Amino acid sequence: MSSTSIALPGQSLGPVSSNNVGAGTHIHGDHLFASIAGPLTTTKASSKVPPNLSIARPTGTLLLPEVGTTVLGRITRTNPRQANFSILALGSTGDVVLAEPLPAIIRQQDIRLTEIDKVTVPGSFRIGDMVRAVVISFGDERAYFASTARDELGVVMAVSEGGNRMVPVSWREFEEVGGTRREARKVAKVV
Amino acid sequence: MQADRRRLNAPPGGTAPPVFATAPKTKLQRPTRTREPDQHRKLFLRTGIVPSASGSAYYEIPPQQQQQTGLLVPQSSSLKITCTVHGPRPLPRNAAFSPNLLLSTHVKFAPFATRNRRGYVQNASERDLGAHLETALRGVVIGERFPKSGCEVVVTVLEGEEDGWWAGNAEGRGGGWGMMGVLAGCITVASAALVDAGIDCVDLVSGGVAAVVQAGTDQRGDDGVVAIDPAPSEHDGGIRAACVVGYLQSRDEVTEMWMKGDAGMRAEQLIDEAVKAASLTRAVLAEAVKEAVEMKLEKVEGNAVAAASVKEGKGKSKDVVMTG
Repeated sequence: MSSTSIALPGQSLGPVSSNNVGAGTHIHGDHLFASIAGPLTTTKASSKVPPNLSIARPTGTLLLPEVGTTVLGRITRTNPRQANFSILALGSTGDVVLAEPLPAIIRQQDIRLTEIDKVTVPGSFRIGDMVRAVVISFGDERAYFASTARDELGVVMAVSEGGNRMVPVSWREFEEVGGTRREARKVAKVV
Repeated sequence: MQADRRRLNAPPGGTAPPVFATAPKTKLQRPTRTREPDQHRKLFLRTGIVPSASGSAYYEIPPQQQQQTGLLVPQSSSLKITCTVHGPRPLPRNAAFSPNLLLSTHVKFAPFATRNRRGYVQNASERDLGAHLETALRGVVIGERFPKSGCEVVVTVLEGEEDGWWAGNAEGRGGGWGMMGVLAGCITVASAALVDAGIDCVDLVSGGVAAVVQAGTDQRGDDGVVAIDPAPSEHDGGIRAACVVGYLQSRDEVTEMWMKGDAGMRAEQLIDEAVKAASLTRAVLAEAVKEAVEMKLEKVEGNAVAAASVKEGKGKSKDVVMTG
C-alpha cells in the first residue's frame, strides 16, 4: 500500500477558508468533509489559491457521465431528427463499464462540426453501430444528449447491411472487409 | 397476509429443527448476559462480497460463547445480514423526472432466518423495517449528485434475532424485541454497502440499540438497567423498552429513531445509550470500509502494472492518416 491517506465519508478535511472543494467532498458548516471512501489527493497550493482537495473512487472515477465525459455506446434506434443510443461505458477507451446501459440521444445538428445542414442521420449511423461520443448535456427526463462533432468521435465499429464486419476507409465511409460494398457513416478518427 | 400460491409453503407454525438423540437428562440452560451493560457484542463486517452488485456487505454477530450442552440446536440466536446495493441506475421508462437519487429499500428475512418460518413474500413487519431503513439512509445519501437515477438497497436477513429464548415460554410471547437488533444491523450493513458502491454520503451511518432490561422475573418494582445491544434470549426478566438509532457520529446527528415499549423516565437515557452503541458499531464500520478501499487500491495497482507490461510488448501505435 502506498502512503496516500484514505478518507472515509464524514471525515473532516479542514476548514473551507484554507481548502478548495473538489470531487468527492462536500461542505458542511465551515468545514470540508469527505463524501466517498478513497485516496485523498491535494493539489499544490499557491499564494492566492488554496489547495484543492479531492477524493477518487478506488475503482474508476465516475459512476454516471457528466457534461464533457467521453462515452462509448451502441445505436439502438434512428429517425431523421436524432439517433438514440445506449451508453455502455465511460471514458474514450471504455475504462468504466456500466452495470446498466444509460439512454442517450445524438441530435442531427450534433453529428458533425461542419456543414451541419447537409448531415443526415441515416447517412451517419445505423442500428448496432458502436459510437464514441461526448456528453454535452444531462438532457431531458430520459436521455443524455451527446455529440459526435469532433474528429475523434463517431462510429468506431460497424456492421454492414449484409451483416459483415466493416473497416473505415475515409472520414465518411466504411467498407466491408474483403468486399467492395461501402456504407456512409460519421467515422471516428482511428487511433 | 394472503398465502403465496406459487410455491410449496411450509407449515405456518414454528418448525423447530429436529433435536437428535441427546441424553434425557440434558438440561437446557438459558444463555445469560456475561458482558457489562455498556459492552457491545463482537461483530464482523466485510464489504464487497457480491461481485455482481455495485456494492455489498455482510454483517454478523457470531455466538459469543461456546455452547455447553451437547445440543445441535443453538441456544442463543446470532445475527447474519447481507446487503446489496444496485445503482446508481437509470430510472424505469415510465418514471417521472427526478433531480436527485431515488432510494428504495427492501428488507427480507430468509425463510429459515428465524425459528418461526418466514414466507417468501415480504410481510408487514419486513416492509416496516424497510421503511425505517429508508429514513435512516435518506438522511445520509447526497442525492443531488445523481440526477435521473435510482438506487436499490436490498437487505437479506439470513439469521434473525429471536424475540426471546426458544426453549422457555418466551417463544409465544413475542414482543418484537429481536426486530430492534435486526434494524440496527440493517442500518450498519446498508451504510457499508452504500460506501462500497461509491455513492456519495455525508457520513457513515451506524445503527445502535439499547434496552431497559429487568434483572429477574420475580423482582417486582425492579427499576431495570439500561443495557446496550441486548440479546433478547439472554434477558429472562424481559425487556421493557428498547430504542434503535441511526447515528452519524462525525456530525452528531440522528437520522432514524425507533423506540418501543414503556421507557418511562428513562427515555432520554435510553436514546443516549443507543447512540453510544451506534458509536461503538461505527468503529467496526469505519475499519471495514477502510480495509475494503485498501484492497481495491491494491487490485487496481496490480492491474495497472500488468497492463503496462502488456503495452510495452506491443509497442507504440502510430497515428493513422485518413483520406476522403
